[in-house]
Amino acid sequence: MQSSGTQSVTRETPVHLEGLGKDYGHFTALKALELTVPQGTSFGFLGPNGAGKSTTIKLMTNLIRPSRGRAALFGIDVRQEPTRALARIGAVIETPEFYGYLSPLETLAYVGRLRGMPKNEIERRSEAVLKEVKLTDWADHRIQEFSKGMKQRLAIAQALLNEPELLILDEPTSGLDPRGMAEVRDVIKALKGEGRTIFMSSHLLGEVQEVCDDVALLNHGELLIHGSVRELSRGADTSTFQTTFLHSPTPQELEALTGIPGVVEVKAEGDSTVDLRISGGEDGQARVLEVMVSRGLKVITYRPLGSSLEQLYLDRIQESDRL
Amino acid sequence: MSTSPFAQVVTVTSYEIRKYVRGRRLLGILILVGLIIGLFLGLPPALGSSYPSTPDAFVSTFASFTGLLVVLSGVLFAADALVSEHEKRTGYFLFPNPVRREVLVLGKMAASLIVSAAVLSLYYGAAAIAALVVTKSLTWDVGLSYLYALAYMIAVVGVAYLVSATFKTTVAATVLTFFLFTLIFSIVGAILPAAKIDPWFIPTSASGIISDVLGGTAVRPGPGGEARVGFVPDPATSLLVFAAYAVVGAVLGILLFRRKELAS
Repeated sequence: MQSSGTQSVTRETPVHLEGLGKDYGHFTALKALELTVPQGTSFGFLGPNGAGKSTTIKLMTNLIRPSRGRAALFGIDVRQEPTRALARIGAVIETPEFYGYLSPLETLAYVGRLRGMPKNEIERRSEAVLKEVKLTDWADHRIQEFSKGMKQRLAIAQALLNEPELLILDEPTSGLDPRGMAEVRDVIKALKGEGRTIFMSSHLLGEVQEVCDDVALLNHGELLIHGSVRELSRGADTSTFQTTFLHSPTPQELEALTGIPGVVEVKAEGDSTVDLRISGGEDGQARVLEVMVSRGLKVITYRPLGSSLEQLYLDRIQESDRL
Repeated sequence: MSTSPFAQVVTVTSYEIRKYVRGRRLLGILILVGLIIGLFLGLPPALGSSYPSTPDAFVSTFASFTGLLVVLSGVLFAADALVSEHEKRTGYFLFPNPVRREVLVLGKMAASLIVSAAVLSLYYGAAAIAALVVTKSLTWDVGLSYLYALAYMIAVVGVAYLVSATFKTTVAATVLTFFLFTLIFSIVGAILPAAKIDPWFIPTSASGIISDVLGGTAVRPGPGGEARVGFVPDPATSLLVFAAYAVVGAVLGILLFRRKELAS
């Protein structure tokens, strides 16, 4: 069993998963996930492909049945009362397909009517969300003409239509070009600014770091870590720093680098560039720089390669794969 | 913000009808219906023979194609209605909405029935008008045959939804529904009398009432000897059989669709 920490659970808690698990025959896609996402949190659900992220989201949105445990949205059991539980959410799951014979406006009207939104509200919100995902010019075109990226943007639009209190996004930038990805991230950040709760799965760490406050790491259907992005970044054991010197370090100097307290690994990457894997968090990184300078090494640049969270992510995934 | 399940059924029905209206299937079946009507009306004068003299006999010629038209409607407008949500991944956008699966099935089923009934009504309407023009009269039996055809259509749609909820691909669901009504039921209905069992419970046998009420399709003995017409139950039994297939098909279809998971 994995624990999400000690957040208190109320009827207004957007996401509360209790021992949630899913088996497909003999294969366990999700073990027994314990997770609570408080209101207003932007939550990143990280893990490599096949970790169990989509399975969790499908369980949360009643697309599949749990083998054990329960998922509750705003205190309502998704299996027991699916229509009530799903009423306050918007979801994008994988890259959904739409009815090709409908236009985005008609699709949004369909979703709005199913959700009981008044006609004028559907029109107002449709216009707003299509503008938000930059599909206004395509509002009346049949979806059968759309690219995968356009469908993904429409998926986000339909998820936002009812101004959901909880937005569940499964790999929301999947299928988008770099510009589209950036636009979607901006939309998510804007929603975060409005105080909505966001539950977003991704295998892109940078994306999660950019958008989310809290993060959970999943692998082989098990929760490995869970906490705030800041805390986890600080608490990460090691980070890799690319260090460029004015002159190429001699073999002796390279040897000396490994002796600096906090340096775990030294890897020469070019004539004058060395990757240093450093432990001890931000303090450790500062100490290593100080020592190098005090020993007369002329450091031109000293910058993190990826983030400490990335290192933590890779370490934990590697560790979990070994088990 | 919430809405009643009935309003949701109406919404689903209206969008499903839009699908059929905008798709090629409705156009295809309408072209087929036009072709069949053209053949029934055009062939006798082209071959120098006369039209039947009574309205029942006249419409009876049209009724000989009704069974196949009903099955084609079931195949085109019902057999893939549920399975396509899974196979074409549209369920990923539809199912996370606050709408129960049974509401989706009922809405889709209503659309299938409305579109199939519209096609059948057009066909019978054309036959009735032609009968009125040619024979200058019309009987209530034509209306009864139409109602029996509608009842058969409901049974076909019910079974098609069960098949659609059971299978994983649209091709499998449509092919099985088609062969079930054109081949499998017919073969079983033809073999059972040999074992001295009346096939009253076979829907294709029961569909014989559609033609029977008009005096039956004229069957002329061929060189092999006496022509035999298959067993046809009485109308009340046939209607009960249709109702049973429709209800059992629809209920099992709903139950299976509710349990079906959207896992890729």
